[in-house]
Amino acid sequence: MFYRFIKTGIVIATLAASITVTNATEWSPSGPIKLMIAFRAGGGVDTQARLIAGDLQERHGWKIIPENLAGKGGAIMARTLKAEPADGLTIGMTVTEAITYSSIASRNAGYSVDDFTMLTTTTGSQMGLFAKTSRGWKTLPDLIAAIKGGQKITLGAMSPRLADGAYILARENGIDFTTVMVKGGKGALNGVLADDLDVGWGAGPQNKSVLAGDLVNLVSGESKPLKVSPDAPLLADFGVPYIMGAKFMFVAPAGLPEDARKVLTDAIIEVVSDPNTKVNAMINKAFSGVETISGSDLDKFMATLSAQDQALLDASSE
Amino acid sequence: MSVFEYVWAGVLAVFLGPEAFNIFGFGIPITVLMIISGFLIGIFVGATPGLSGPFLMAVSLPILISVFGFTPDALLPVFGFLVGVMKGSTVGGAVPAILFNTPGTPDALMTTLDGYPMTKSGQAGKALRVAHFASASGDTFSDIVLFTCAPFLAIAVESYLGFTEKAALIILSLSFVAAVVGASPLKGLISGAFGIFFASIGTGEDNYSRLSFGTDFLANGIPLISAVLGVLILGEVFVSFEEMWHERRDANAPPEVPQSTDNSLSFAERRKLLPYIGVSAFLGTCIGALPGIGSTLAATLGYATGQKMHKGKIPFGKGAPEGVAATEAANSSVSGANLIPVLSLGIPGNVGAVFLILAADSIGGFNPGPSVFRFTTEEVNPELIIAFGLFASMAFANLLNWTIGAHFMRMVGIMTKVPKPVLMPFVLLLTLTAIYVQETTFDAVYFMLFFGVIGYLMRKLAIPALPFVIAFILAKTLETTIRQAFAVSDADPFFLFKSPLSVVFLALSIFVIVFFSRGKNND
Repeated sequence: MFYRFIKTGIVIATLAASITVTNATEWSPSGPIKLMIAFRAGGGVDTQARLIAGDLQERHGWKIIPENLAGKGGAIMARTLKAEPADGLTIGMTVTEAITYSSIASRNAGYSVDDFTMLTTTTGSQMGLFAKTSRGWKTLPDLIAAIKGGQKITLGAMSPRLADGAYILARENGIDFTTVMVKGGKGALNGVLADDLDVGWGAGPQNKSVLAGDLVNLVSGESKPLKVSPDAPLLADFGVPYIMGAKFMFVAPAGLPEDARKVLTDAIIEVVSDPNTKVNAMINKAFSGVETISGSDLDKFMATLSAQDQALLDASSE
Repeated sequence: MSVFEYVWAGVLAVFLGPEAFNIFGFGIPITVLMIISGFLIGIFVGATPGLSGPFLMAVSLPILISVFGFTPDALLPVFGFLVGVMKGSTVGGAVPAILFNTPGTPDALMTTLDGYPMTKSGQAGKALRVAHFASASGDTFSDIVLFTCAPFLAIAVESYLGFTEKAALIILSLSFVAAVVGASPLKGLISGAFGIFFASIGTGEDNYSRLSFGTDFLANGIPLISAVLGVLILGEVFVSFEEMWHERRDANAPPEVPQSTDNSLSFAERRKLLPYIGVSAFLGTCIGALPGIGSTLAATLGYATGQKMHKGKIPFGKGAPEGVAATEAANSSVSGANLIPVLSLGIPGNVGAVFLILAADSIGGFNPGPSVFRFTTEEVNPELIIAFGLFASMAFANLLNWTIGAHFMRMVGIMTKVPKPVLMPFVLLLTLTAIYVQETTFDAVYFMLFFGVIGYLMRKLAIPALPFVIAFILAKTLETTIRQAFAVSDADPFFLFKSPLSVVFLALSIFVIVFFSRGKNND
């Protein structure tokens, strides 16, 4: 009886899937798709992009050529992608911050949010401010108390935006951090583990050690509590109304036809949401799980993020 | 995981890793296959005058990466091949030195002094056996030192060095390389400064690409592999083209000498060589662990020390087996020790180590430095497993050296007969192909040709290329660490002089330059 249910379920699911596929074949790529990856090989963005590319090839028979265009926190890829024709044959994978904050913060970034058609997000970071458990701090108030008690605290940040966030956090709470710029997701992690830094921002790589009990997330930089540290308070509780986390996302050059946008978006969402794909397992393990914002929702989301990042910049340059 | 479990996991990663193919139901792991092929090809390349181990590593690296991809699974097979080449080419270098008086690699120059006289007196086979025995022993000694020292050193580094001290240590390594390699420390410094200058194009903290004149061509910086291959390999190729232009190769092959039938090396003879091998292996290992001074100096020192110890019938230079042993043990023991600064600090000291760093850097998932040797018990540290996998690969290559190395040595004498006008265009084509395979853009090829010209000019002006390459590789780390040290000090302008250890490092950097300048001017 039970098995029959499952069988029926599978049949229905397959039918439903094939129907969506038939509907979606209105537009199809006229040649190989170039997938530009904004970060270096082996990182979180790169791994996701390559896994998704593999599944898309398998399911739709598209030829996808991944290419790493790393550098300048995603700006190199953004500038290159912007200049490509908007025919659906060139798409890019990056993080929200590289599109919003980076284009506003630098004097001549060479691109802005309006230069892109947003396809979909895949998942989000698990941004937390972490420290070694052996320091004895349980959550952010303990750290603030320590600084007020006269301790000098060094903080590792991998992007200017995170440095801004730390600055506002300090200002709102009447303390000071000595902020040190580190390279990549692992920079702060290595710095804290080697006792070169006291605390650091981590987008997720720290969480293995948090689960092992070596590190502790003092505060969540996301809009929600962190999966591994549900007890860590939110930044908003400490006078910082900005989200420090970022979402991983696919973009195309501005002016991508609506039908192409829909086909590409749906295809990516289908792969990411399927619990049997490797990429699904990976984002559940390392990041926030499936978070697909697409279409006009994504446009609104990006506009909100841009406004938020502008406010963050204004607030930190006061 | 305990320490032992990490070691075991590393060994298993090599011998039970992904299979290349099956023979009679026995799977041949891909890493083992790569070590064997690297070793065998390394022997051939080492035996070919004009080619060298680093050259083979340079050309094969982009091809290996495009074959194995950018996943951490690619690390061990690629490392395995490079390690095989490193060991094979050292052994191979002795062959033409002994048989034809033409050293295959610069380190083998001292081997000709006694090796060739032995051949002339009909003892070529014995000379080869002595060279092989000394080489394999020296190699084993060096590997043991690496396995025991690198983790220990890395942990010490992590607990004692902060950002400031690390910055000062990189400055010290750079001045050491500049001072030691080549004819004059000043030329070494010029070379290093050039390396830092070119590495600063397109990099830096700001979102605007530094020194790019707003062009896209320079915006992303210069591909590391283009600069390294251009200066190291193309520069050398251009110089040999010029040499071929000037002199037609004289075709006088050395006359064949009738060889003695008894060329075995008895146990007693081996025991007599052991003191020489021991001293040379120790010297070679110490030298290998210091950045900048390679196997050539080790060979020279080993030979000189052996000469002082020697009291036998046949004097050094007239065909003494002890001379061959002293040289070969010294230059072979460099390769393992070379990796001590690489694995513990992430600082390459020699050309061979440069390519291991390049491989790790291009593939990702393994960042040489103190973080590798973190013995985490709760969570598995994959980098540590790779490190022990690398050690296991080296031990396996060493085993190959002991077992099949000797047989192959006797086969490769023929490589000396390959004429340069055939070899060099082939090298040029291979290098250009390799760079295009990795970067898949013509910009990388243009950059490499440009750096080839720079490499050529540097050789013409007797400016050593190694400081350039090492400075180019370390420039980014140096800049980041200096920025971090500055930030941690709360923007103190004298941040580099605030810690006693970094003051010591900086004082030493000046001392090395001054010391070597004086020594070399007096010569």
